[in-house]
Amino acid sequence: MTHDSALERLRGGAEPRNHDARTIAALTANPGCARRGIMDAAGVDKDAVARRLGFPAPFGQSQFAITRGNAFEAQVKADGCAELLTLLRDRLGLDVPEVAYDDLEVVAGNESRELRHARTRRLLERALSSGEGTLFDHPLLRLDIAGQPAYLEPDVIAFQLGGRFHIIEIKSFAVIDGQAEPEQVAAAARQSAVYVLALRRLLEELGAPAERVSHEVFLVCPENFSNRPTATPLDVRPQLAVLGRQLARLTRVEQIVGGLPDDLTFELEAEELPDAVRTVEARYAPECMASCEMAFFCRDEARACGGTGVLGKAVRDDLGGVDSIGTALALADGSLDPSPDLAETAERLRTAARLRREALTA
Amino acid sequence: MPAAPDVPPAETTTETAAATDALEARIGDLRAAVRRAIANGDRQAARVLRSELRQAEEAWDEAVLGSGGPAHDVRRPLVPVRDQVHQALTLLGAPAAPKLIGSVYAAFFPGDIPGSRLTSLRRDEERSFRTAPYARPFYLCPALTADLLSPARGLLAVSTWPQAQRIVGPLSARADFLTAAIRVAEQAGRGPDGSGVQRLLWRFAANIPGATAGTVGTVDPAVLAEAARAELDVHRDADRHQRERAAERALAQLDDAGRLFGSRLHALRRTGSGNATDGENTR
Repeated sequence: MTHDSALERLRGGAEPRNHDARTIAALTANPGCARRGIMDAAGVDKDAVARRLGFPAPFGQSQFAITRGNAFEAQVKADGCAELLTLLRDRLGLDVPEVAYDDLEVVAGNESRELRHARTRRLLERALSSGEGTLFDHPLLRLDIAGQPAYLEPDVIAFQLGGRFHIIEIKSFAVIDGQAEPEQVAAAARQSAVYVLALRRLLEELGAPAERVSHEVFLVCPENFSNRPTATPLDVRPQLAVLGRQLARLTRVEQIVGGLPDDLTFELEAEELPDAVRTVEARYAPECMASCEMAFFCRDEARACGGTGVLGKAVRDDLGGVDSIGTALALADGSLDPSPDLAETAERLRTAARLRREALTA
Repeated sequence: MPAAPDVPPAETTTETAAATDALEARIGDLRAAVRRAIANGDRQAARVLRSELRQAEEAWDEAVLGSGGPAHDVRRPLVPVRDQVHQALTLLGAPAAPKLIGSVYAAFFPGDIPGSRLTSLRRDEERSFRTAPYARPFYLCPALTADLLSPARGLLAVSTWPQAQRIVGPLSARADFLTAAIRVAEQAGRGPDGSGVQRLLWRFAANIPGATAGTVGTVDPAVLAEAARAELDVHRDADRHQRERAAERALAQLDDAGRLFGSRLHALRRTGSGNATDGENTR
């Protein structure tokens, strides 16, 4: 309970923010960041905090992208998922009689999440016992994130491919000549992994083995420059492993909270908000810009103190133990004597500096 | 309008001016009345007042701009929207989504169904039925889900169809798609082959195994109908069974309005109790 009250104090009395697959997937992007971990665990509205700090994050999905995505999804699912069924039959050998379609987006004209989740549970339970049902449209899954239930909606679940559930993720980026943009695919894989995990948890609750949810998800995207959908299997085992580890870490958030000052709060109106945020250590890397609302603040902070993370994760890892760019430069030109544990790094830095000098003077 | 020769022109203008003043006063009053009705939540009265307001505005147009202007030429469809939808649904013979209804109508009938009108249609139909049951020869109603007997999302049906035909179970989406394919192919086989018809046929043929035997890009209606029948044979019995079971329940449990427009509150209370509903046990 003290743990809960500590998190509530961190939020400054505000309502916790809900997670979705996007934010959960983003958790795995930078597992080493305590600032992000603690703020996510407490459900702090990071966007509001960043705006309050004067570093608003100008992102959020583009309205055009959302519209395009919805239109493509509607097209694939039109006429009782006609296009999707064709794809699944052609590519994955789905049997002709397997056409059952259950719409879980609305339950009796009601869209409440608890009701939809209950119905999802019931239909999946039936599917497990009797094998009924093939396509489940917009089931509502639940995943506990640091003690907070987060509701998630995969686009479709296909069932009855050898008795296993498969997540189908419909995305509107194009697969051209069998290739799609790696970043987009990686993001889709991370998101799908969240769904796979949530579905596995649900199956475990229902007393079925988690393996009945396949680690292979199907990505349905427009093919080449047309609007015709194509399906690509995607193995999300690596993403699942990272996600599982990261979520386990989030549940141990007590330890991080324990190390923080007792009066720390991220209340938006508080005068000392910037100091409060700085108290918790961040681990900035340029990749943060794509997934974290706090990125602009952290980048500014990292630049101001010359953190090596600004130069990218690879550089930071190479300079293990050296915190700032200034220290690294001092070690390189020999103006600073390295401690024994940094001797090796210092040696390499001096070599690099010597090579650079030679290359420039030659 | 040419003035009669024995009436001085000045008087005509003052007369018109007096008439338009009166009309403008009436328009103002009606607007206020519509607002009051809306504020009081009396939508029925608001609609009546609104149509009176529209008439007054048309009269004003006529008095000020004169008749026969291009404003009066606004192309109104000759057939009301509900009749258009009824025609398309009768052709399809199965519950269908507005998008399919629109493209079927565009392919086989003159004119288009304005998409914006479809959204309010269902609500209007239900309201009309509840105020005066069976006053119209048919109503456009939502298809009902087999398990909860509640309105299915985005599927329209015709009230005169048998109850089982207006209910959709898990297999019905596919079965109805195939039924529609057969009906559309038969209709296309009878009439001239326009580009709209070909597009529609292709939309079906591309997603039915064995329906695209001919040359690439063209669809033979007979082949399409044959392929659709072959697949429908696989699903028909199971689908019909589910639908008929649900229809029996609907007849036993629901009142007239419920059988047409579905039961929302009823279903909610039942699911809220946490027990599996009949539909889920008997399926």
